[in-house]
Amino acid sequence: MIPRALVLRPIIREKTRTALTVLGIAVGVAVIVAIQLANQSALRAFRESVDAVAGRANYQIVPEAGALNEQLLLKLQPFWDAGVRFAPVIDVEGVDEATQQPIRMLAVDLLSDLHFRDYRYARIEGAALQSFFQPDAVIVPAPFAREHHLALGSPLTLGILGIKRLMTVRGILEARGPATAFNGAIVVCDVATAQKAFGMLGRLSRVDLLVPDDAIAKQIARVLPPSTRVERPSRRNERVENMLRAFRVNLFALAGVALLVGMFLVYNTVLISILRRRRDVGILKTLGAAPRQIFLAFLYEGLLFGAIGSVLGIALGDVLAEGILSLIGRTVNALYVTSRPESITLTPDVIVLGVSVGVVLSVLSAIAPSIEAARIRPASMIRRGVAPAILPAKSAGKIAGPTLSFALAALAARIPPVKGIAIGGYAAVLFVVAGFSLLAPMIVRGIAAAAARPFRAAFGIVGQLAARSLHASLRRTAIATAALALATGMMVAVALMVGSFRVTVNTWIDQTVRSDLWLRPAKGLTNADVALFPPRILDDLRKVDFVAAADPVHGRDIIYRDAYVTIGTGDTRVAADFGNIPMVTPRRPKPALEKMIRIHGVFVSESFSLKFGKSVGDALTLPTAHGPRTYTVCGIYRDYSNDRGVVFMNRPDYIAAYDDDKINTVVIYLKPGFDREVARRRLEALFGPKYGAFTVTNASIRAEVMRIFDQTFLITYALLGVAIVVAVLGIINTLSALILERTRELALLRVAGMSLRELRTMLLLESALLGIAATVTGVVMGYALSWILINVINKQSFGWTIAFHTPTALIAASLAITFAASVLAGLVPARLASRIHLASALKTE
Amino acid sequence: MRVRLEHVTHTYSPTDESAAVEVLDDVSLEIPSGEFMVLRGASGSGKSTLLNLIGAVDRPTSGRVFLGDDETSAMSEAQLTNLRRVRLGFVFQFFNLLPTLTVFENVAFSLSLAKRPRDEVRARVNEVLEQVGLANRATHSPNELSGGEMQRVAIGRAIVHRPALILADEPTGNLDSRNGERVLELLRGIHEASRPTIVMATHSERAASFGDSIIDVADGRVLRA
Repeated sequence: MIPRALVLRPIIREKTRTALTVLGIAVGVAVIVAIQLANQSALRAFRESVDAVAGRANYQIVPEAGALNEQLLLKLQPFWDAGVRFAPVIDVEGVDEATQQPIRMLAVDLLSDLHFRDYRYARIEGAALQSFFQPDAVIVPAPFAREHHLALGSPLTLGILGIKRLMTVRGILEARGPATAFNGAIVVCDVATAQKAFGMLGRLSRVDLLVPDDAIAKQIARVLPPSTRVERPSRRNERVENMLRAFRVNLFALAGVALLVGMFLVYNTVLISILRRRRDVGILKTLGAAPRQIFLAFLYEGLLFGAIGSVLGIALGDVLAEGILSLIGRTVNALYVTSRPESITLTPDVIVLGVSVGVVLSVLSAIAPSIEAARIRPASMIRRGVAPAILPAKSAGKIAGPTLSFALAALAARIPPVKGIAIGGYAAVLFVVAGFSLLAPMIVRGIAAAAARPFRAAFGIVGQLAARSLHASLRRTAIATAALALATGMMVAVALMVGSFRVTVNTWIDQTVRSDLWLRPAKGLTNADVALFPPRILDDLRKVDFVAAADPVHGRDIIYRDAYVTIGTGDTRVAADFGNIPMVTPRRPKPALEKMIRIHGVFVSESFSLKFGKSVGDALTLPTAHGPRTYTVCGIYRDYSNDRGVVFMNRPDYIAAYDDDKINTVVIYLKPGFDREVARRRLEALFGPKYGAFTVTNASIRAEVMRIFDQTFLITYALLGVAIVVAVLGIINTLSALILERTRELALLRVAGMSLRELRTMLLLESALLGIAATVTGVVMGYALSWILINVINKQSFGWTIAFHTPTALIAASLAITFAASVLAGLVPARLASRIHLASALKTE
Repeated sequence: MRVRLEHVTHTYSPTDESAAVEVLDDVSLEIPSGEFMVLRGASGSGKSTLLNLIGAVDRPTSGRVFLGDDETSAMSEAQLTNLRRVRLGFVFQFFNLLPTLTVFENVAFSLSLAKRPRDEVRARVNEVLEQVGLANRATHSPNELSGGEMQRVAIGRAIVHRPALILADEPTGNLDSRNGERVLELLRGIHEASRPTIVMATHSERAASFGDSIIDVADGRVLRA
């Protein structure tokens, strides 16, 4: 009976308010659900591919760097009798030369591999397996064959490890098992064929194992050479997921902002319910209702909002996820791993996540106001005769709460990261938000008081009333203001962070990309990593008269301390003479590079240095193709190209360490005065036919980097936009609730001669004042939050130093949007106010 | 200001929770200009509805309402706003003061809306506050006043712009007898001083005795006393 009287009937009657609150929660939950769904899909293809390619293997022998020597198989022979089965595998990325699309090559011992993977052949050339062992034989999945119009006997040119070979389709696989990996962009061939065709004689990517028990796996590990490990196939997925963890946590934190704003909305709604039904609560208590019953009734209201909002949110999130996936997918591909996103699938765990987040947070938000309701004394009827003024909470005006919050934020910011996640930084953000939220009543009061005089001067009594009303309804308006201030603050903070980061990256590119042209083996940045040039291209380049210097750049991922890091290489002499590496320590790059050449040392990126605690002069032991080798760190440089950490070594040292003389990109410096465009055309004419080379200008490299940058942060703005929408819903909700409550007061103003236009102006001025309060608070909060984002969260998550920069136009635009939105939010209550029936409103007491 | 009603009927529309109720049934009456007229009737008799229709706070379901020569039942919302701002003054049972404004500002409200010069407003409000006996309470908030004082502020607010018609709905209904008496004397004094038309709805015999004439209202119909 009590919930029906206090909660159910009113929320059914007040449809607009109920709808706005539910919508607010739904949007918050939707964002969380969408991010989770998109995250799952973005990597699901990669994860499933790894699983499909691993087949039934329960262990794998993998090199920490480079490739395995196939002699290793001899060491495994003694384990055969213990039930161990092993399969040599070459698993490398390459390019389908016809389409320039990435393609995976899985080379196995086709006769013995049936222990590990399922192959079902749709068609086989000559109806006999012998054709698979011809030196050009490859087998493709049926969907790939259909898509690329391939049939048995069709030619297929592959570029693998810098070698182009014309292969022939000798078999077509049904789409199952490994044939489904990498969205079917995979070719299978015999391991001996791959070794011969693509320069991998005697080498393997890994050995897949079927081991009957873990103890034997440990025995196998003991006989392996250094820089080789035995691990579960899933370990690779875990490493990739760890690599993406900071990126994903950041996305969740941003989505959390929308949800936090949604929580403010629930808090505000329940509080307004209680303030509006104070009299009813008084009556119920007079009739014998217990405080606990009142408390539970209002908690029930929070639960209802949370449950309905969550269900709607999950449905909305499912729709939103497609859009978010396309944004995340591009970023993951550009910065982390090649994985074509799969379609969105709503899984039970995501549904549970959505419901629990929405319901738990809504109930939590309802607790404080529900306690307040339980404490209402039966006698606390509003005094008759004066329209009920809504007085500020007793705690308003006290600064102990905000001060404590800010002090805790300062302390939290000093906590070191936990497993690469800036826990302290996120806690500091929450404390700063809490501090400003507690300050919100004071800020609204200050702004309303400051605005009273100018508003009076500009709008007469209408302006004065607007300022005074806001002050009087502080208890309700402060929460809405805090919510909008939070959304604005995050918007400003992210604008500052992204703006600063953009300028920093731009400066970094200006400094580092000093070359004239880049020669690449494939179009686009990502594909270039899987396509390679052979080293002889350097000999040919030396013969070109207008080239002053050529820097052959290459890199590979290795496993260092169980994480992926990148080993980069180039001609250090050219980098010292022509380039300009932005340094952290020492200041000047040239002496450090010369020392690096002299002592066969390395440079490490700033993120590597922070992540692994390496400074100049430290010894760094890296896995190489010849076992662990120790290098001295000669310099730390800035590198914003990836966050996993980069070790840079001189090309001869790299070749010696990894037996790899291939080249990803040749950075070309032209002789002074030579026209770039002429050079570009001549280089493409010379190297295009022979090496399949594309020439990229300095300007297009810069543009490409900035395009990837902007694309990466697009989702950030999208998420904050959602937070703003939720906050504006909060403002509409609050002001509409105030209208309902002030019906008699507004009717009175109308009877006393206030026109409809003046009434609307007054309400719009009120929402404008809220907008001003939220904007002012948001700007101050935004600067505080941006400091934490740049110096704590970003530094701990990615290891990048960002120079502070205010993107004035972006911030002005964000503020203008927030302010305009808050003013427009006043239109809804203004419309409601104009519908008040004067006689009925005045009759109500 | 002369008040005239011709065959006025008023029905409250049904809502989800109630059926349609006819509160006034074919009412015709005329109140001469400068008269202190009392509408007397029991609770629920329809006198407040009648007052609301005269004050153009509500529109009749059928029939016509005239203030002077103007038919208010045919006026636009903007015309009604102007009428209320310039020519009408209201006093309610529950005072209905604006909590966010001081006593002075409450009284000055309609002058401020009309954008009258500040000096004129100050002089007139002070004069009215003297008249209602609250000059010393000008800077107080309504919450700091007694019921009687609040009603006197409400009367001040109703007369500050020298309206031609003052409407008072149970002005003593929420006051003790001493304060009620004082408020009625105040209204009587105002009437004698500047002769506005006053229409007062009340159920109290004592209050009714302060008027020039009385109209009895019962079951939605009027009977001249």
